[in-house]
Amino acid sequence: MAGKGEPRSNRKVALTAASAALAMLGLGFASVPLYRIFCQVTGYGGTTQRADEAKAATVKDSGRTISIRFDANVERNMPWQFKPLQRTDTVSIGARDMALFWAKNDSDKTVTGTASFNVEPEQAARYFNKIQCFCFTEQTLKPGEEVRMPVLYYVDPAILTDPDNKDVQQITLSYTFHVTRVEDAKALDHPRTGS
Amino acid sequence: MATTADHFQAHPEDHGHHAEHKPAFFARWFMSTNHKDIGTMYLIFAIFAGIIGGAFSGMMRVELNEPGIQYLDTFARWFGAVNPDFNTTLHTWNVLITAHGLIMVFFMVMPAIIGGFGNWFVPIMIGAPDMAFPRMNNISFWLTVAGFCSLLCSAFVPGGTGNGAGTGWTVYAPLSTSGSPGPAVDFGIFALHLAGAGSIMGAINFITTIFNMRAPGMTIHKMPLFVWSVLVTAFLLLLSLPVLAAAITMLLTDRNFGTTFFDASGGGDPVLYQHLFWFFGHPEVYIMILPGFGIISQIISTFSKKPVFGYLGMAYAMVAIGVVGFIVWAHHMYATGLSVNTKMYFTAATMVIAVPTGVKIFSWIATMWGGSVEFKSPMVWAMGFIFLFTVGGVTGVYLANGGIDDVVHDTYFVVAHFHYVLSLGAVTALFAGFYYWFPKMSGRMHSEFLSHVHFWIFFVGVNMIFFPMHFLGLQGMPRRYPDYAEAYTHWNHIATVGYMVMAFSLVIWFINIIYAFTAGKKVGDNYWGEGATTLEWTLSSPPPYHQFETLPVIGETVHH
Amino acid sequence: MTGVRLKSLIRHGRSKEVEAQKTMTLGKISIGAGRVRRALGLSLASVLTFAAPVMAQDAAAPSAGSYTPMKPTPGIGMPVDGGINLQQQFSPTGEYGEWLHHGLLWICLIISLFVLALLAIVIVRFNRRANPVPSKTSHNTVLEVVWTLAPVLILIGIAVPSIDLIAKQYKPAPKTALTVKVTGNQWFWTYGYPDNGDFEVISNMLNIPGQPVVNNGVREVGSKPWDGPSHLEVDNRMVVPVGEPIRLQITATDVIHSFAVPSLWFKLDAVPGRINEKVLFIEKPGVYYGQCSELCGAKHGYMPIAVEALPRDKYNAWVLTHAGAEIDGQKKPAAAAESAAAPAAAPAADASEAPAGEATAEAE
Repeated sequence: MAGKGEPRSNRKVALTAASAALAMLGLGFASVPLYRIFCQVTGYGGTTQRADEAKAATVKDSGRTISIRFDANVERNMPWQFKPLQRTDTVSIGARDMALFWAKNDSDKTVTGTASFNVEPEQAARYFNKIQCFCFTEQTLKPGEEVRMPVLYYVDPAILTDPDNKDVQQITLSYTFHVTRVEDAKALDHPRTGS
Repeated sequence: MATTADHFQAHPEDHGHHAEHKPAFFARWFMSTNHKDIGTMYLIFAIFAGIIGGAFSGMMRVELNEPGIQYLDTFARWFGAVNPDFNTTLHTWNVLITAHGLIMVFFMVMPAIIGGFGNWFVPIMIGAPDMAFPRMNNISFWLTVAGFCSLLCSAFVPGGTGNGAGTGWTVYAPLSTSGSPGPAVDFGIFALHLAGAGSIMGAINFITTIFNMRAPGMTIHKMPLFVWSVLVTAFLLLLSLPVLAAAITMLLTDRNFGTTFFDASGGGDPVLYQHLFWFFGHPEVYIMILPGFGIISQIISTFSKKPVFGYLGMAYAMVAIGVVGFIVWAHHMYATGLSVNTKMYFTAATMVIAVPTGVKIFSWIATMWGGSVEFKSPMVWAMGFIFLFTVGGVTGVYLANGGIDDVVHDTYFVVAHFHYVLSLGAVTALFAGFYYWFPKMSGRMHSEFLSHVHFWIFFVGVNMIFFPMHFLGLQGMPRRYPDYAEAYTHWNHIATVGYMVMAFSLVIWFINIIYAFTAGKKVGDNYWGEGATTLEWTLSSPPPYHQFETLPVIGETVHH
Repeated sequence: MTGVRLKSLIRHGRSKEVEAQKTMTLGKISIGAGRVRRALGLSLASVLTFAAPVMAQDAAAPSAGSYTPMKPTPGIGMPVDGGINLQQQFSPTGEYGEWLHHGLLWICLIISLFVLALLAIVIVRFNRRANPVPSKTSHNTVLEVVWTLAPVLILIGIAVPSIDLIAKQYKPAPKTALTVKVTGNQWFWTYGYPDNGDFEVISNMLNIPGQPVVNNGVREVGSKPWDGPSHLEVDNRMVVPVGEPIRLQITATDVIHSFAVPSLWFKLDAVPGRINEKVLFIEKPGVYYGQCSELCGAKHGYMPIAVEALPRDKYNAWVLTHAGAEIDGQKKPAAAAESAAAPAAAPAADASEAPAGEATAEAE
């Protein structure tokens, strides 16, 4: 047929376009780790920071205080009770503090859970550092078993100089426990819904 | 328009024996590599899909005629539910809204405006004999058909509390993952994969064709604006659809293979899915409307008997809309809990789009200004488009404001807004294009009288459907509801009546098509007269099976 | 390694106070209590009817808390028949937003009419008969610059108050603000009151007479004198104090929902696995209705929101009708609250293990 005057050139344009499409496809998949890194670095979406002992040791107590609120949730299929042992706490900005959460497995199965977490107001997240947290790893509770779970954290004094945070008087640290594994192969049927 | 073909005589060759050689029926229509035949198939397919998608909206409107659930139970049975319980009945509603959205976006507007008119007229307008990759063109079409079949299948298999995918066209996780067991959503996702793959191939084909196959003298700045619009659209498709493909592939693995890309239980984030979806979804709305802009430019220039005012501004306004369209996506997500700075950025960025869009509206009016305007059917539709698109555009500026969005997000105000730019914008542009080019494609003239009647009834009908939705939205009626508080009854009832008016106008349209094929006058090469200056008007109506055996040479443009 | 250390710490750390924080979950109902009480063998129905004995007791001991739901004012906090504009606003951001909304609508209207007028002029002056010879003008640089810059200026004019409105909406709540926890579920809302003893209220839409039952065991709308419109009224409203900032924290247990109340200019998604937070400030006592605004499955249309704003003292009285309720960290008056909760919960066997845990509980 006519119209294939420059097949080589056509192929070149088409291949360039196709590779642009492929690149965007790759970017789509790469967005998952990129988004995670972005959140971890900037605190976007209320993502808390993670600090090791060494880094935590270098932070100085600023002498100013801020209120911290603790919040605990479970997803619908999670047969655990999960509560903070203190609703709020006033801490020195820069000083490390510990909060305790409590969980109990109400089911007759061994259940492993993972906690997702975020901080509100979001702009405070980049200054909220966890040194130790039960959310870093999976937690397994035997039937009827209960645990107290600590979080070691501090609020970076840099928050005091951030204009975005000048109105923030209380930071909420929230956790939600999700079912990761149930030992018994049978699926859990533990809906919270009634009607 | 931008180009003239004054020095060009195509007819002697085109009417020769070779140009009219057509393959047998099966080979011609099922293995077609001819851009005009594929364009025709796209148009017929789009009309077919549009009837189904339109029927779904009719089912929704009768249910919404008054509060309470009246017909959904019957509809649930149509989708194969035996003695549906209340949840199954309500699920059917979600299937209807999902299918209506997906069909209208992926299987009606896109196939008609890009696959149909794009395939038919882009090669002709740039003086090319066909698309760059005719066989790939064929694959694109049949992938779209396969996608549509997959979507229809999804309605008859379980998808949660009933048959069909009830996730909304946005397929948000986790409703689409843990919230929708059963294969229906998988079928829906597969449908998007197939249609998306078809569209990406189509985009590559258009880009290659427009870059490489322009006739001698047809420089990029002499291309008709419809070609410009398809070029920009092709780039939007090429860069946005793969992101959707990635997002829905991850949905698929989240659903079936235990990954947790969008599931908080494994460290994923459901909000990331929304970011990915709208990174595709916002360019997608320009994909639907930009070729419409192109069609309207051609028509207004033709019937004003004037070249387009500010041709370069018009072309680059589309490029600007396309580029900015990629960096405003999160204005669809103002309620998800974006941070304050993010919301401010997306508010400001979104409002920027109003600037190139304003340039287009004013340039169209300036094109008509001083013209000798003939109000033939395509022109009436085009002027209707300008007004309706303006209304949809200004409510777009309203919605761009993140602070305002708190009260209207996910209400009928948003439904009204996007139907003004799409149902009343893109579809009006489609009808304008249809009446403009139908005689060119078929060789027979439609009834101008019926076309005008069609326009006025359609115009009244769609405004009756969608204008009251602004009121409903401001009063707080949420979208995607099968039932509503009694205070919303009045305007919902008006909208349902409007739907019937609109549906009646479509009957007139079908009668007009039948009239054209049975009694329509045969038309010559250029039935719109002196204002029609692009290359399709140098060819016979319908054009020869193979046009431009000898490439046309493009003369000086009018506006330079 | 952290995990191992953490776990051993957890195991050893288990203590009696923990017991004090136990919360019972019974079907949809969970009653937070400062003291351990195990409500054994309580069916959903009996808990739902449990309001009655409490109110009966209120008569004898008013200080224990009392509450009669408020009768909504027709047309306030709800859509009005055939209404064409925003619902009346009852929050500072709502009033600001309404002002901006009106300004924007005027701009929208003027631009639309301007375009319509230009089209009308074209139809009248530049039709084929009136103007047989078309001009050939296709450029006018000044004009093109003007219609590019004029929208820019209009948009800047809009952007200034718009950005300001967003900033106001996002102003964080003061430390002392009452926190209310909103949780979206398929297909009902629960409201937690962590600052008032952590009780939880489950809110279901009232069934609509003549329509299929939406929520089993829930009464029909219109069966109580204080019921608002059908599709919007619920069995248990979210009661909050009026005239003070409230820190609303919103999450979901299953899929995404959205907490929306049009007359309070409030809409925020409930996303599973995270909380979203925003300040709610209600200026006048009243009942304000809203509906779930993110597609969440079959009964998406049947999980409305009813916010009842009461003066502080009435709010406190409402709080005290709940088992385990506290005000300012105190059970006030302790005896009354105790007896109020008694019908619902009998002391359980392990209660002896749990000496008062309030001190730890509200260690603020």
